[in-house]
Amino acid sequence: MPTNPRDSNGEPSIRVESRAGGIHAVLFFAMASPCEVLLEIDDARAALEIGGIAAAEARRIEAKFSRYRIDSVLSRINRSGGKAVAVDAEMLALLDFARQCHELSDGLFDVTSGILRRVWKFDGSDRIPCEQDVRALLPCIGLEKIRWGDGTVSVPPGMEIDLGGIAKEYAVDRAVQLARKHCAYPLLVNFGGDLRVGAPPTQGAWEIGVERPDSDRQAILVLEMEQGALATSGDTHRFLLRDGIRYGHILDPRTGWPVRDAPRSVTVAAGTCVEAGMLATIALLQGNQAQAFLENAGVRYWCLK
Amino acid sequence: MQLTKKSAPIRRQLAAAALTLLGISLAHAEPTSADRHGGLAPLQIDPSLLGPGAAPRQAPTEDAGVSMPPARSRFNVEDLAAADAPWRVDTGFLYYKEGDGRIQTKEAVINVKRGFSDDSKLSLKLTVDTLTGGSPNGALPSKSVQTFSTPSGTTLQATPATSTPTTPQTYTTASGSVVQVGGNGSASHSTVYSVAPGALPIDKTFQDERIALSLGREQVLGSSNRLSYGGAFSHELDFMSASGNAAIAHDFNDKNTTLSAGVNLETDSIRPIGGAPVAWSEYGQFLKQGNKSKRVEDLLLGLTQIMNRRWITQLNYSIDASNGYQNDPYKILSVLDSQGNPLGYDYENRPEHRVRRSLYWDNKFALNRDTFQVSFRHMSDDWGITSQTADFHYRWMFADNSYLEPHLRRYTQSAANFYRLFLIQGDPAQTYASADPRLAAFDASTVGLKFGVPMGAGSEFSVRVERYLQKGRQAPSIPAQLQGLDLYPGLRAWIVQGGLSASF
Repeated sequence: MPTNPRDSNGEPSIRVESRAGGIHAVLFFAMASPCEVLLEIDDARAALEIGGIAAAEARRIEAKFSRYRIDSVLSRINRSGGKAVAVDAEMLALLDFARQCHELSDGLFDVTSGILRRVWKFDGSDRIPCEQDVRALLPCIGLEKIRWGDGTVSVPPGMEIDLGGIAKEYAVDRAVQLARKHCAYPLLVNFGGDLRVGAPPTQGAWEIGVERPDSDRQAILVLEMEQGALATSGDTHRFLLRDGIRYGHILDPRTGWPVRDAPRSVTVAAGTCVEAGMLATIALLQGNQAQAFLENAGVRYWCLK
Repeated sequence: MQLTKKSAPIRRQLAAAALTLLGISLAHAEPTSADRHGGLAPLQIDPSLLGPGAAPRQAPTEDAGVSMPPARSRFNVEDLAAADAPWRVDTGFLYYKEGDGRIQTKEAVINVKRGFSDDSKLSLKLTVDTLTGGSPNGALPSKSVQTFSTPSGTTLQATPATSTPTTPQTYTTASGSVVQVGGNGSASHSTVYSVAPGALPIDKTFQDERIALSLGREQVLGSSNRLSYGGAFSHELDFMSASGNAAIAHDFNDKNTTLSAGVNLETDSIRPIGGAPVAWSEYGQFLKQGNKSKRVEDLLLGLTQIMNRRWITQLNYSIDASNGYQNDPYKILSVLDSQGNPLGYDYENRPEHRVRRSLYWDNKFALNRDTFQVSFRHMSDDWGITSQTADFHYRWMFADNSYLEPHLRRYTQSAANFYRLFLIQGDPAQTYASADPRLAAFDASTVGLKFGVPMGAGSEFSVRVERYLQKGRQAPSIPAQLQGLDLYPGLRAWIVQGGLSASF
C-alpha cells in the first residue's frame, strides 16, 4: 500500500495546483488513495481552503472508520471481543446502510468479509491460499451475526467489520456536502477514483477519464459530467495470477473465493457516490452476470473486461 | 431470471439508503472545527503573497494610515474563514538594528481577528516596542571634538572646538562616547556626550517605549459593498497619536473589480523632552516652548482588478495633508564659518504644512505553485521630495507547503528643497532648513529572505532576515575644513523577524 507522504512535521501534506481552464486542484493523500478536489476558482488560497475542508473530512472518516488504524473507532469495535461497544449515530447509520446493501445483494456484499484478506494477499504473486484455510474463515463471516442498535454494536470474537467498501464513497459525498455549504463554485471531489460533482463548471462539464486497467493515467474513455457521482470498482491494481488465471480481489463472502469472470473494472454513474460505489461493487460480485445486472438496474455504466 | 426482477428496485433502494445514510450523517455527525483541521497542513496562508484574488494587505503608502478593505475574488475566502475558523491570531517579534551603535528596536505584535457569521470582522492589534540607541542629531562631523547635550538639558555650554583641528581634547576617549554628568545643577537630568573628530554626531541616548492599539471592524453592506472603520491610538514618552478611519469598497464586474475609497483623520500631540525647541534658536540656549500638535487628513482611492486567474493588479492613489508641528525637536544643523569650522548649532525649522501625493501599483502573480509580487510607488510632496520604490517578492513553495521568499527592494528619493547639510554663518537667512538625513537625497536597497513552515492545525511559523543599506547622494561644494570627512555615512541595518500565526 502506498504510504502517506508527510511533511517535516509529520503532518499529512496538502497542496494546490493551478490547471488549465481556470481550475485549481487541491491534492492530498488519504484512505490509501491520491485525492483531489477540483475547483473553478481564481484564488489559490480559496481553493486550498475548500480543498482543506474536503481533506479534513476524508481524514476524519479515515481516522474513524479505517480498520488499518488501531486507534480508530472501528478497530475498537473489532477488538471488543464480543462486548457491546457504545458508538455514535454515524457508525450506526453506516452499519444500517451496510445491512441494506447486504440484503439487496443477497449477501454478496458483506462488510465482515474482510478477514478473508488474512489468507488472500493480492500482491500480484501466485500465492493462492489452500481450500482449508479459506473454509476455516467462513464461520466468521456474515453480517447477520453482528448485532447493533440502541447506541451499541457487538462484534463476536474472531469477526471483523471492514467498511473499506463504503467509507471512501461516503467520504466523497460528505466532502461535497460540506464544501457546498461553504461555496457554490464549480467543484468536483475525487477520492481515489470515486468522485462526485458539487457543481458543474461555468462552461461545459467536468471531463473524467476512465483509466485503462493496469495503466497509469491512460484514459480509454472520457466522460463529461454536469452532476452526479461516479464510482469505479475492479481488480485493476490488485490481483493474483496463477496458471494463467487472474484472481481479482473481489471475494465472494459465501465461498471465500474471488468472483470468477468478473469485469476488470466497472464504473457506474448515480446520484450519490455511495450509491454509485455500491452498484459498481455489487455488479462486480455478480461475476459474468455483472453487465446483465447493470442493464437491468437501468444505470449508466461502463464495463471493462 | 430472478436477477432481472430484483435489479430494478435495487437501484431505487440503494439510492434511498444512500440518502438516508448521508442525511443521518449530516444531522448527527457534524465534524467539529478541530476535526476539520486535525492533522492538516494549515488552511491559512498569508494572503498578501498568494495568487490572484488574494487580498492585498499592503498599505497604499508607507505612511498612510488608511486601511483599505481587501480586494476579493469571486469566491470570498474571508467568509469561509469566518465560518470555519473564526479566530485568527498573528504574533510576531521584530528586531531591528542599525550599524554603528545607532537605533535598535525590539517590537512585539499581536493581532487578533474574529470573523462572525454575518460576514463582519473585528480585529485588534497591539504593538509594544522599545527603542534604544542613537540617531544622527543633524550636526556635521568635524575635525575637532564636538559636545552635545540630550534634549532634557536646560543649559549647556555647547563647545564647538575651533582650535587646533585634528587634536582631540583630552576627555574624549572614544568615538561618540557618552558621559553621564550627574549632580551638575541645572543639567542634572541631561546627558552630555562628546563626539570624536571625524565621527558623525549621534545622540546615543535615545530610549523610548511605544504602545499602540488599533481596533477595526468590517461589515458587508448588501452583496457587493463593504464598509470598514476603526481607530488607533499610540503612546510614546514624547508623542501621542489618535486616529479614526473609514473606508468603503464596492465590488462589480462579477466581483472582478473593486473600487474603494477611504479617509483617515489623525491628531498628534508632540511633547518633546524638555519642551519643543524654538525654531532657529541656538542649540546651547535651550529656548523651549512647550508642547506641539499636528493634524493629518488622508484620502485614499483604490482600484483592484483581477486581470486573469494568474494576475491581480491594484492601483492606489492617496493624498494626505498634514498641518502643525513637523519639526524634529531633536534635530539641529551645524553652523559653519566659510572655511567649514563649526561655530555652533541651530535648531531646525520645517514648514507647518505638507501635502503628499502617492501612486501605488501592485501586481500579484500566481505560477503553478509559486507566486510573486511586483509593486511600484511614486510619491511626491510639496516639500520637493519625490521618491520611487520598486519592490519584488518571490514565494518559492515546496511540496510540504513550506516556502522560501526572497525579497528585493529599491528606493530612491530626492531631497526636500529646504534640506541643508549645514548652514554658513553670514549667508542669507532661510525660512526653513533641516539636516535630517531622512529629508536628504538617498538611495536604499533591501535584500531579504523569509522562510515559512506550516506547523499543522492552521498555524504557520515564519522567520525573515533582511539587510537594509542606505547611501546619501548629496554632493554639495564642501568647505575646506570638511574635506576628507564622511559627511553622509549612510545607514546599514539588519531586520530579523519571527512570526507565528494560528487559526482556530
